[in-house]
Amino acid sequence: MRTITYFLFLSTLAFACNLEQEIELNLPEYEEKIIVEAYLDAGQPYQLLLTRSSSYFAPFPTNIEETFNQLLVNDAEVYITYRGNSVQLNNTPGINPLTGKLFNYAAPEVAIFDTIEPYELEIILRDGKTIESTTRFLPIVPIDSVVVQFREEAGSEVDSARVLTYFNDRRDEDNFYRRTLYAYENGNLETLQDFSTDDRFAEGLFVFGTAYEFAAGDTVLNRVYHIDEAYYRFLTSLQLAIAANGNPFGQPSPVIPAVGGTAENAIGIFTTLNYAEELTILQE
Amino acid sequence: MRIYITGLLMVLSFLTVKAQNSLVTISGSITDAATGETLIAATIAAPQQGLGTVTNEYGFYSLKIPAGDSVRIEFSYVGYQTINRTLLLNQDQELNIELKPSGVELEAVEVKANSYRDRVNSTEMSVEIINTDQVKVIPLALGESDILKVIQLKPGIPSGSEGTTGIFVRGGGSDQNLIVLDEAVVYNPNHLFGFFSTFNTDAVKDLKIYKGGFPAQYGGRLSSVIDVKLKEGNYKKFSGSGGVGLIASRLTLEGPLSNNQDHSFIVSGRRTYIDLFTRAVNNANADNPDATQIPDYFFYDLNTKINFKLGEKDRLFLSGYFGRDQFGFESDFFNFQFDWGNATGTARWNHVFNPQLFVNTTLTYSDYQYNIVNEITDFSFNLGSNIRDLNFKTDFYNAFNNQHTLRYGANATWHNFNIGRLSAGSEDGLVNFSAGQEFDGLEFGAYLADEIKWNDRFTLNTGLRISGFNNDGEMYFGLEPRVSAVYKLREGLSAKASYARMYQYLHLVATSGATLPTDIWYPSTERIKPQRSDQVAAGLSYLFRNKYLFNVEGFYKDLDNQLELVDGAEIFANDKLEEEFAIGEGEAYGVEFSVEKQEGKLQGWIGYTLSRTIRSDFKTISPDAQFLQELPFSPIYDRRHDLSIVATYQISKRLTASATFVYGSGDLRWLPEGRFSFQDVDLAEFQSVVPDFGDRNNYRLPDYHRLDLGLVWKFFPKWGESDLTFSVINVYDRRNTFFLFFEPVGETIIGADGNGVVVPERIAAQQVSLFPILPAFTYNFKF
Repeated sequence: MRTITYFLFLSTLAFACNLEQEIELNLPEYEEKIIVEAYLDAGQPYQLLLTRSSSYFAPFPTNIEETFNQLLVNDAEVYITYRGNSVQLNNTPGINPLTGKLFNYAAPEVAIFDTIEPYELEIILRDGKTIESTTRFLPIVPIDSVVVQFREEAGSEVDSARVLTYFNDRRDEDNFYRRTLYAYENGNLETLQDFSTDDRFAEGLFVFGTAYEFAAGDTVLNRVYHIDEAYYRFLTSLQLAIAANGNPFGQPSPVIPAVGGTAENAIGIFTTLNYAEELTILQE
Repeated sequence: MRIYITGLLMVLSFLTVKAQNSLVTISGSITDAATGETLIAATIAAPQQGLGTVTNEYGFYSLKIPAGDSVRIEFSYVGYQTINRTLLLNQDQELNIELKPSGVELEAVEVKANSYRDRVNSTEMSVEIINTDQVKVIPLALGESDILKVIQLKPGIPSGSEGTTGIFVRGGGSDQNLIVLDEAVVYNPNHLFGFFSTFNTDAVKDLKIYKGGFPAQYGGRLSSVIDVKLKEGNYKKFSGSGGVGLIASRLTLEGPLSNNQDHSFIVSGRRTYIDLFTRAVNNANADNPDATQIPDYFFYDLNTKINFKLGEKDRLFLSGYFGRDQFGFESDFFNFQFDWGNATGTARWNHVFNPQLFVNTTLTYSDYQYNIVNEITDFSFNLGSNIRDLNFKTDFYNAFNNQHTLRYGANATWHNFNIGRLSAGSEDGLVNFSAGQEFDGLEFGAYLADEIKWNDRFTLNTGLRISGFNNDGEMYFGLEPRVSAVYKLREGLSAKASYARMYQYLHLVATSGATLPTDIWYPSTERIKPQRSDQVAAGLSYLFRNKYLFNVEGFYKDLDNQLELVDGAEIFANDKLEEEFAIGEGEAYGVEFSVEKQEGKLQGWIGYTLSRTIRSDFKTISPDAQFLQELPFSPIYDRRHDLSIVATYQISKRLTASATFVYGSGDLRWLPEGRFSFQDVDLAEFQSVVPDFGDRNNYRLPDYHRLDLGLVWKFFPKWGESDLTFSVINVYDRRNTFFLFFEPVGETIIGADGNGVVVPERIAAQQVSLFPILPAFTYNFKF
């Protein structure tokens, strides 16, 4: 019996061992890539962020100035063309006060909600290579309803709530959606959910739900984006690339670029933002 | 083709005519005297005449001997007492022999030498045989013996990642192994995500794996045939065996079903009991709102077999397997259940027409499925896939004489694929969606294999298999020639060579190199052509001092229509799954060395493989077609060096010690080479950093090596036998890589809300290992 106890003790001890340790990896040499992030929001001026990637283990910059110097590509020519009118975006770094998003190229022209005519992007890099992309606005898919359900919690005086968000799929065409849910607190939005999906198995009505994680008085913002296939594939690959970290059974995925042109080392997205949103204050 | 068949028939006619009329035939079966179990590859020899043969996979033999007054026949098998019979041979005789177990310590060197000699002289090459006695003394993780883990210690069969049973034979994928349990296909041989195999060692009689030189009776997979046979059960008396380990217990019962010892049964079950502990912990924490519930997990399996002797010439075997893994998590509003497993059934009829002709007819059923049920209050989400087979086959074994045997047969398999079956919706019916694909396929094959011993030195085995597959009107055919030959250079030294073409009509859609229960089997279709391989192998077998068997083999394998998932593939609930596949080619080549000794106090083997595996020409693997670079890459299991040393030493009648050392080049991984910041990924783990992955499988992990030790301490109580098996896995506490992940390292700043935020200075690579030094023990018994 003592022998058995001894081995049980040893086994327990072994399981308690720390099986995680930092190691040094010598990854293949990395060639820098150019990253484009540009969204056209109806009524908002043209803005675009052009950055560069770095090797995976490169140290992070230690201050803002160094960050901008390392990150931003400021020597490109950027054009957006709509209905034959080509506008050059100037290299003027800034932050969009509505979205909080950084940009380093901008023009005062505003995007017009037009589901017929495309917008074309052309970026000429310092070496003469180009990055090109085309996009157009898509019809907005309205949120059908936001349903709040409360239930009693054992041992608690406060009921908990969940939020169900319904919207209808557009019939007779392949559609792609992105739905985000934010908690709204003190003027700040905190992302709670961010899903992208196609409609291949939707039968009319989509629903997204949460757990019973809210209380009366909480405020949430629902957004349903109608997105195109290129953006959907780009977003999905982006999420897969991120999710592969720490998953021993996951399949890593390179980010699938949604931009073309002659620059082989470009990744990024040029797309329109077509969304319906609804702010809900949870009431019992 | 016509020339080939005509030539084969001419050879058959010639040899049949050549058979001499003055020969008599002795035939029958050889069984264990204690249990009645048939013995496979037992030796039957007429030493004075220089003639001999071995029992086939069903324990049956047939030997032609010149008629004579007193002919001495020797029956022997490793671990059993040899029997000599002097016979008056004036007519054909049926002779069923029972051999008595001798105990390992009494084992005759000569018997083992005979067995080795048979292997040296056989046309079979690229074959490994494992018996369960070997398995039980080899130390294994958590004290659970596992026959599939042991075959990964053989040359040419590197294991998958740490702790998994993914089998990658000579550069083939984990789906390219035909794994049969009593002739029924087992689609997923894993429990617990690959930590354990589905085969309960107590119920298994033996395992044979072909890595190349495939006999014509096998088809349907490219890279290996793993043939597992269940025990038949004790025909002589009721008996039992079992074991109690740290995580699982086993019990096997077997015995005769009739007084005349003609029928027998065996039932064997196994179950883990981790869930009993986790449930107790969960119950203890039921009132603690801060406690995290531990998910439930257990697996179980049940093997059973019944054998009937229906007279002198007929035997009927019925066997079955059922196993399930159950994983569950339940809370007040959330219920997640995930189960997966195999079910197989076999009905096999043996009939002896005459001493030269034997037939085996089999009906098998196989089912593999997984089911995920996820309920969140009034919403449910069900996902599952399954594959079901119904197979009929018949195999004839015809021994014209000692120099000439012929095998022929045919099979037909109906496959039913239910892929990505999804149903989801709400209780009120407002929300409903579903997906899934269903296919039916018919796979069939017919073969002829002819083995001719041309003279004392040269034996040639030629075969041809014709296979086909029909899926919804799409028809494929394959011609699969098989050739293997042995040339005896001198006594105990043979040169061997083989060639085999294989077709595989099923494909496994796997998200990673590891084997997962959610991997999906997919049929060949109009776009997805059957996989094909051509393998050549050549080598030498050398028996040294009648004790040591040396083998060296080189191989080259060409693979066509290989399947990989495209970048960013979505495989769950996708009705257009084929759009996520890329089709390409592959090749693997290498050389394997081994030496083994299986007699005496010190037994074991050393195996070493030097190999390379490449995949190439996947034209649509990247949607980034504009800058498509069809670069070759190696799969994650490409292993340049692979070394295994296995040794057991019998210290005394009671004590046996064992050691296993493995060394291998690290597996490959697909790692990010760069990173970029992206604002539109709020849920990224840190600082909106997106990894930029380089070429596929661009990084080789550190080398893998591990030493395991074991000690079996036997007891001999009045009621039977028992032992305590102690094992220590990873004796020198090597931290081998299970997986890697990355995390930011930097200063942590406490925000206004009291939560810490890491301001990253750099990214660190963290390695997670599975096993530290890990002792375990198991108590086993037999009565």
